[in-house]
Amino acid sequence: MNRTTLGLALAASLLAATAANAQQLTVYTANPANLIDNLAKGFEKKTGTKVNVFQATTGQLMARLEAEKANPQADVLISASWDTAIDLKAKGDLLAYESPNAKTVPAALKDQYYVAQGAAALAIIWNPKSGKAKPSDWSDLAKPDYKDLLTMPDPASSGAAYGLVSGLTSLPSFGWQYFETLKANGTIVPGANAQALNPVMQGAKAAVIGGVDYSSLDAKANGEQIEVIYPASGTVLESRPAMILRTAKNVEAAKQFIDYMLSDEGQKFVADVYLLPARTDVAAKRPGWSDIKLLKLEEGGAAKRAETLAKFKTTMGLK
Amino acid sequence: MIMGRQGGGVILGLSLAGLAIVVGLPVLFVALQAIFPHLSESSFREPFANFGHVLTDERLPELFMNTLMLGLLVSCGCFLFALPLAVVRGMTNLPWGGLWDLLFLIPFMVPPYIGAFAWVLTLQPNGYSTQLFGFNLGGFLFSLAGIVTVMTLHLFPVVYFALSRTLGVIGRRFADVGRVAGASPLYAFWRITLPLSLPGLAASLLLVFALTIEEYGTPSALGRRSQFLVLVTSIEEKFAEWPIDLPGAAILSFGLVILALAAFLLQHWLVTRRSYIAVSGKHGQTALIDLGRWRWPAVAFFAFAAFLAVIVPVGAVILTAFSQTLSGGLTWSNMGLRHFQAVFANRSGALDALWNSLWLAGAAAIGAGLLGSLAAYVTVRSQIRGRGLVDALSILPNALPGMVIAVGLILAWNRTWWPFPVYNTAAVLLLAYICLLLPYPVRYVGAGLRQVGASLDAAARVSGAGTARTLWKILLPLIAPNLMVAMLLVFAIASRELVASIMLAPSGMRTVATFVFNQFAQGSPGLGMALSVLAIFSSTAILVALSALYRKKIET
Repeated sequence: MNRTTLGLALAASLLAATAANAQQLTVYTANPANLIDNLAKGFEKKTGTKVNVFQATTGQLMARLEAEKANPQADVLISASWDTAIDLKAKGDLLAYESPNAKTVPAALKDQYYVAQGAAALAIIWNPKSGKAKPSDWSDLAKPDYKDLLTMPDPASSGAAYGLVSGLTSLPSFGWQYFETLKANGTIVPGANAQALNPVMQGAKAAVIGGVDYSSLDAKANGEQIEVIYPASGTVLESRPAMILRTAKNVEAAKQFIDYMLSDEGQKFVADVYLLPARTDVAAKRPGWSDIKLLKLEEGGAAKRAETLAKFKTTMGLK
Repeated sequence: MIMGRQGGGVILGLSLAGLAIVVGLPVLFVALQAIFPHLSESSFREPFANFGHVLTDERLPELFMNTLMLGLLVSCGCFLFALPLAVVRGMTNLPWGGLWDLLFLIPFMVPPYIGAFAWVLTLQPNGYSTQLFGFNLGGFLFSLAGIVTVMTLHLFPVVYFALSRTLGVIGRRFADVGRVAGASPLYAFWRITLPLSLPGLAASLLLVFALTIEEYGTPSALGRRSQFLVLVTSIEEKFAEWPIDLPGAAILSFGLVILALAAFLLQHWLVTRRSYIAVSGKHGQTALIDLGRWRWPAVAFFAFAAFLAVIVPVGAVILTAFSQTLSGGLTWSNMGLRHFQAVFANRSGALDALWNSLWLAGAAAIGAGLLGSLAAYVTVRSQIRGRGLVDALSILPNALPGMVIAVGLILAWNRTWWPFPVYNTAAVLLLAYICLLLPYPVRYVGAGLRQVGASLDAAARVSGAGTARTLWKILLPLIAPNLMVAMLLVFAIASRELVASIMLAPSGMRTVATFVFNQFAQGSPGLGMALSVLAIFSSTAILVALSALYRKKIET
């Protein structure tokens, strides 16, 4: 290392060392920036503890946690995929904590070790300018009208999209035949949610099959001409778990942060980005718990997951 | 051997130590991670446990061949596209030379994934080309030909800058000798000028090849649709898909290293088997060829290249930034400043991200420039044993995907045994940028040094100058144009680097690229594009100011 970098490195380290004396909390999150910024600011104001945020996609968060194992940095993790919480718990990486503020969180969305921050649902995201008949159920997208106009997020990189595939294939009226029809109808699987949504926003494609609803609702509130349709046959929820890591350095502040996230104020911030607040007694700015029909999901475990994903790949002609 | 034994030893020691820390350490940890799957928990159990399932993946031969093919096609594309441009720029009195250089620097400042996204927004059905001119090229874009075209338009400046500078130094003198001996102009160019510029050409093509096989943004944005998968896409999957497979990613990365080292050996053989010395003393400004009535056709050709490589993608970024909504399309009523207002209101820390990126890029340019020049000096000028190692170490970062280098840096620096924290501070980002971008100064400065005769060093020594004085007074001014271009490139690329930044950004710190990427992932491309526009223009402004200063300094 040359002198300049060494000097900078030392200066940066000194800064970091001074800052470490104050109370700090490190949060790794897949939240949208404005949500985590509001939560961090609100928490700092309330407790005086500074929140250091690392914001990335769920996959990137998990890769960073994995690489940091020799010297873990994160106190709190808020991911966008429920499976990550189940998996980390099974590995013994989590610290048990049940927040007093979680009383009105539905039982399915909390555990001794983790609790939902909020949830999104998967929906059909439809571009009305496409001139195609407005779909009301998944089956409408299998019609020839939608030939070559469909995108779908990759279930390999999204837990919720996997839930949708697994849920629909276990329904007799859909099954794998539904996905075979989608493939014949020219459905593309271009990547994660944003990659599936962008062609539909610009009008290159007409609809997303199983797009995450909150970011589209937010885009719509900002003037994008798209519609979010909850299919009649039912859909799946993407619940976003928050958890404290076993290696957390600042356990007290971490617990306070979970409490704050589930407080009236914290849940309002969650509602502001069009997510469904985990607490059923906090008003949502969007279709709520009782408005969306949910598919029944079977617990399958890792083997079932790998098998379903492999079958999805072959069915959709992916390599 | 020209330099004093002592001076040479110090320089070798410094550059080896620098390279060991900046490059060797993360690469070593990646290698260890590949062999010991539980390294991240500081455990060495189950060595080689992951080799089986990674190496028996039935897709592997195809991924390998696709990667090789893409690297070769993009290298060819860059050569064919950049050669005529560089010849005209380096050897003739083309009008507005500085303007073209500036324009061709801009592709570097556009992150690859944003560039690819801009092409998608332009060419897909109902994209900007449909809205403005009624045609779309979606079928072409989402194919191998589309990927090669987009990557060539993005990377050709690497060849353009190296070759136009080299040709400028060689000038007409050698070809004139050939002409006197009766060769036709074309023959003289083909047999004399072009071979003499081989070091610069080979070095830049090596960079293009390594950059192509390492890049993730374009193949993932365009290749997934046509199922054209490369090694990097597969490495990225191991990072992004559940369960995370760090050892698998590390093992696959060494496939890339093998390809890059093969290219490196080829390049090494090409440039060391003979001498390319073109500067053996002080000589006047070499006369440029007068274009005469070819002046305006040449300008039209440059304008066409700039249109494809700069105006279209940057134009699409700007249009998206000014569009209130993406679905609203290109209508006057849909244009507005909403996204820029959000950036200037520092929403989500947009301005902080811009500032972070700019100072980090500046520091990276200085660090990589210093270390790179030292390393280039050792490999080209010394006969010391170990210089081959220095040379090889300096190309490694180019072959390893940014993501993998980032993991290597985490594994190396996120340890409690370091007396001072590096990980989770800005210093680790700086280390990452210097590591990833070091190949530019090493290649560019090295190519410059190969053209400067050792007789100049000897003359300085005979006149009583020490190693340091020789370097400072003789060599540095002679290689300054190459070093300057390399540092500008480092600045441009560091200011928008994504993949390593996203893994390494200390908690609480955002850079332009991580900000933009997160805005994209959350479905608001407009805000991300607005910050991209600001970033592209502010780094361009800084580069213009720097080169103006530099030129002034040379003239006085």
